[in-house]
Amino acid sequence: MRHGFYRRLAWTGIRQNRKLYIPYLLTCAGMVMMAYIISFLSQSPLLEDMAGGATMESMLTFGSWVMGIFSLVFLFYTHSFLFRRRKKEFGLYNILGMGKRHLARVLIWEAVLAAALSLGAGLLAGIAVSKFAELLMVRILDGNATFTLSVAPGAILHTLAWFGGIFLLILLNSLRQLHFTKPVELLRSEQAGEKPPRANWVLAVLGLALLAGAYWLAVNLEDPVAAMVFFFVAVVMVILGTYLLFMAGSVALCRVLQKNKRYYYQTRHFVSVSSMAYRMKRNGAGLASICILSTMVLVMVSSTVCLYAGLEDTIRAQNPRNISVEAYVVDPAALEGEKPEQVRKLAEQVTAEAGLAPENVLDYRQASFAGIRDGSQMEWYLSSLYTTTSPMDTSEYWQVYLIPLEDYNRITGAEASLAPGEALASTITAPYEEDTVTLNGGNTLRIQGRVEPFVRNELDALEMFPSLYLVVPDFVEQAQALQDTVGDETALNLSWYYGWDLACSDAVQLQVWENLRDASAEAELEASGEEAASYFHLYWDSAAHARQNVYGLYGGLFFLGILLGIVFLFAAVLMIYYKQVSEGYEDQSRFAIMQKVGMTRREIRRSVNSQILTVFFLPLLTAGVHLAFAFPLVYRMLSLFSVANRGLLAAVTGLCYLVFALFYVLVYRGTSQAYYAIVSGKGE
Amino acid sequence: MSILEVNGLKKVYTTRLGGNKVEALKNVNFQVEEGEYVAIMGESGSGKTTLLNILAALDKPTGGTVRLDGQDLSQIREADIAAFRRDHLGFVFQEFNLLDTFSVEDNIYLPLVLAGKRYPEMRKRLEPLASWLGLSELLKKYPYEISGGQKQRAAVARALITEPRLVLADEPTGALDSRATDELLQLFRRINQSGQTILMVTHSVKAASHAGRVLFIKDGEVFHQIYRGQCANEELYQKIADTLTMLTTGGDRR
Ligand SMILES: Nc1ncnc2c1ncn2[C@@H]1O[C@H](COP(=O)(O)OP(=O)(O)OP(=O)(O)O)[C@@H](O)[C@H]1O
Ligand SMILES: [Mg+2]
Repeated sequence: MRHGFYRRLAWTGIRQNRKLYIPYLLTCAGMVMMAYIISFLSQSPLLEDMAGGATMESMLTFGSWVMGIFSLVFLFYTHSFLFRRRKKEFGLYNILGMGKRHLARVLIWEAVLAAALSLGAGLLAGIAVSKFAELLMVRILDGNATFTLSVAPGAILHTLAWFGGIFLLILLNSLRQLHFTKPVELLRSEQAGEKPPRANWVLAVLGLALLAGAYWLAVNLEDPVAAMVFFFVAVVMVILGTYLLFMAGSVALCRVLQKNKRYYYQTRHFVSVSSMAYRMKRNGAGLASICILSTMVLVMVSSTVCLYAGLEDTIRAQNPRNISVEAYVVDPAALEGEKPEQVRKLAEQVTAEAGLAPENVLDYRQASFAGIRDGSQMEWYLSSLYTTTSPMDTSEYWQVYLIPLEDYNRITGAEASLAPGEALASTITAPYEEDTVTLNGGNTLRIQGRVEPFVRNELDALEMFPSLYLVVPDFVEQAQALQDTVGDETALNLSWYYGWDLACSDAVQLQVWENLRDASAEAELEASGEEAASYFHLYWDSAAHARQNVYGLYGGLFFLGILLGIVFLFAAVLMIYYKQVSEGYEDQSRFAIMQKVGMTRREIRRSVNSQILTVFFLPLLTAGVHLAFAFPLVYRMLSLFSVANRGLLAAVTGLCYLVFALFYVLVYRGTSQAYYAIVSGKGE
Repeated sequence: MSILEVNGLKKVYTTRLGGNKVEALKNVNFQVEEGEYVAIMGESGSGKTTLLNILAALDKPTGGTVRLDGQDLSQIREADIAAFRRDHLGFVFQEFNLLDTFSVEDNIYLPLVLAGKRYPEMRKRLEPLASWLGLSELLKKYPYEISGGQKQRAAVARALITEPRLVLADEPTGALDSRATDELLQLFRRINQSGQTILMVTHSVKAASHAGRVLFIKDGEVFHQIYRGQCANEELYQKIADTLTMLTTGGDRR
């Protein structure tokens, strides 16, 4: 045959099926664009020089894997949809005398054209957008950059290779399908008599049980560490449950309704119920996928946004003051010696040299241990390690702190006084209701009063364990006594915290911090000493330094969350579109028949409308329910990483859902135009 | 009084692009009496389907009137058309037009459900009809599971269950093999003998030779008609064949 014949045939095929092909090509191009951007960013030289850049880079590399695998699965799915529609055309060519070898050549040309178009457009768009993405990312990392357009050949090659591979696999799959079907089947494949959907009760009930189980887990897992572990179990259960319910449960429900003759044989229900069964059989899997994707988008975006938005709170919680020093000692008396005074002097001096004055000074001593609570007994964690049955169960673990009364009075401005053996109690996360507390079988303290929390440290910020702060008048004696109950003088955590705020930029703070460390090293304040009594270790910390690291990590998560969120969102949109279009083709002939049998156009339109609405808004609603049940779990997991602000998370999640719903409705409205065009026969 | 009166019916299609006009029906006049079995024949493109669509109120004529039981179709309000159609008319189509999402039984109920009838009443109407049409065993099956002839019988049951004044059939045998065609024609005969008025459009001389009267349409007009009178099917067949030959060779009206 003439040169270029197959190419032209392929091109005509694409053009004639543009209603299906254009969205497919756009998806491919979009995926290519996203893949390029992520790959480009992960190799960006800008990142290397930035604080937190390395973390971001590894996060992006992970993201590009997610992206690649998702593209593979999703493009396969969309293409199979496209190919099913086209089988009829190939069947016709086949019967008109074109052999399968020739058809294969048409298919190859089509694949080449589609790949060329989408790779070309995707890469161009990717190159154009990548710089903006880079600027956005630098902003998220809290740095500055100037705008210069650049192209990364490495990223281009990476994208070409990956998507070339995907397109090749898709082509091989269609060739395989072409090879294994008979021409008559090709012709008929679209309207092969569809069996009436059967209700599979076992699967429906299983789906319900899985979903109920997952919801129960999500609501009842109090413990953050267990939440982390069971999160994935719950996710898998939700995914399976959703698929089963959408595929089997919906059909079963329709069947039940059909059994109820009084309900079923009513004008309003008759057509809707029976077609719903078919619709759900055909679309159950697709709709479940839309639902899962939507839930993923929502959880991912809302939690990363929440993490990012709560970043300053997190930093403040982990670093209560801009600059701080913690001194660790072994002998409780060492906290009262002259060393702390020297450190204070040094700190003031170095800060003054920078032309600044410490503000908001926080200065206190503490002795702490991890305990397991049993009534009013606080048992030392280490000594009970071998007797507790389940180390995973952290629900009875407490962090216990002893704070000197004079430090408490200084911090809060109170003028409390206590007799030896008495204490003021303050708790974080969980209440402590007993009147006494016995410290590891030793001294028993009478709780004289309860006070509001007055300091918080890093551990409190995680809210993993409840904390019990005990303000005591005889700090050194109590700490000593406690240490004696263990017999190991290094087991107790004895420290002194000294921190202050500075009214200056992060850069200056970093400089002051550096100077402090240098000065402290020079003054040889630390004593690692062989003698426990003189042991004195200093740890200098800076919020500005922490900020750099945290922005690299959470900024990276945030950025990736947004990027992948966009990708998943477009995937969901495309699935909605394809569903609508395919529904349109299915309904076209039914629409005509019902009219002939005596349904008015309005009745038909109303019935079809209600079905379509149900079908398309089911995933959105289910995603909402999933999200609501996932909320406690997400909250608990976030509390592991940052200051978990329930209100913020709720607001962000709600907002994400609203935005998503709005977007969904818009897409639905847009695509239903295509649907009605097809149904009323104007589409061709 | 005639069940159906068609006077001066005219239909002009205007193609969407440009003002190209096709005059499908020019001036059609005829009547159908109660209990009659009328076949309408004509060449492809002569306007048979157009005529049937207008009779069924699926399409509006450009001119002329159609009266069913004295009621002028053009006077019925748009909103009532569908209800009128399902109460007074029954349809049998060439391609069956059964809904594949319904079982045979539900397909037959469809017009009754649309009319708001209750299930026990529908059931009561279906039982005798189904056994008469030999559908009793097939009621629970789905369209994809049964043969063409069976599908057409289900469609006939759907047309009859509303007890319509007039049954309209467009090429009802067009998609059937010869045995199923014979069966269906026998069935139509029996239905007609039970008093049901039938108007059938067909290409097939054999199908037309079962009717009581045959109308021939040409160039958008009723060109000729043949009454069965006392003829047997074979004689009528011959007459129809002769008329068709004459029509195509362009003879004059007899
Ligand atoms: N919707 C339409 N728009 C424009 N022209 C039409 C339309 N429907 C039918 N026609 C034209 O009207 C004429 C009559 O068509 P009709 O379908 O009634 O013929 P028919 O007698 O049923 O033919 P056949 O025996 O092949 O079914 C034809 O010339 C046809 O092209
Ligand atoms: Mg016709």
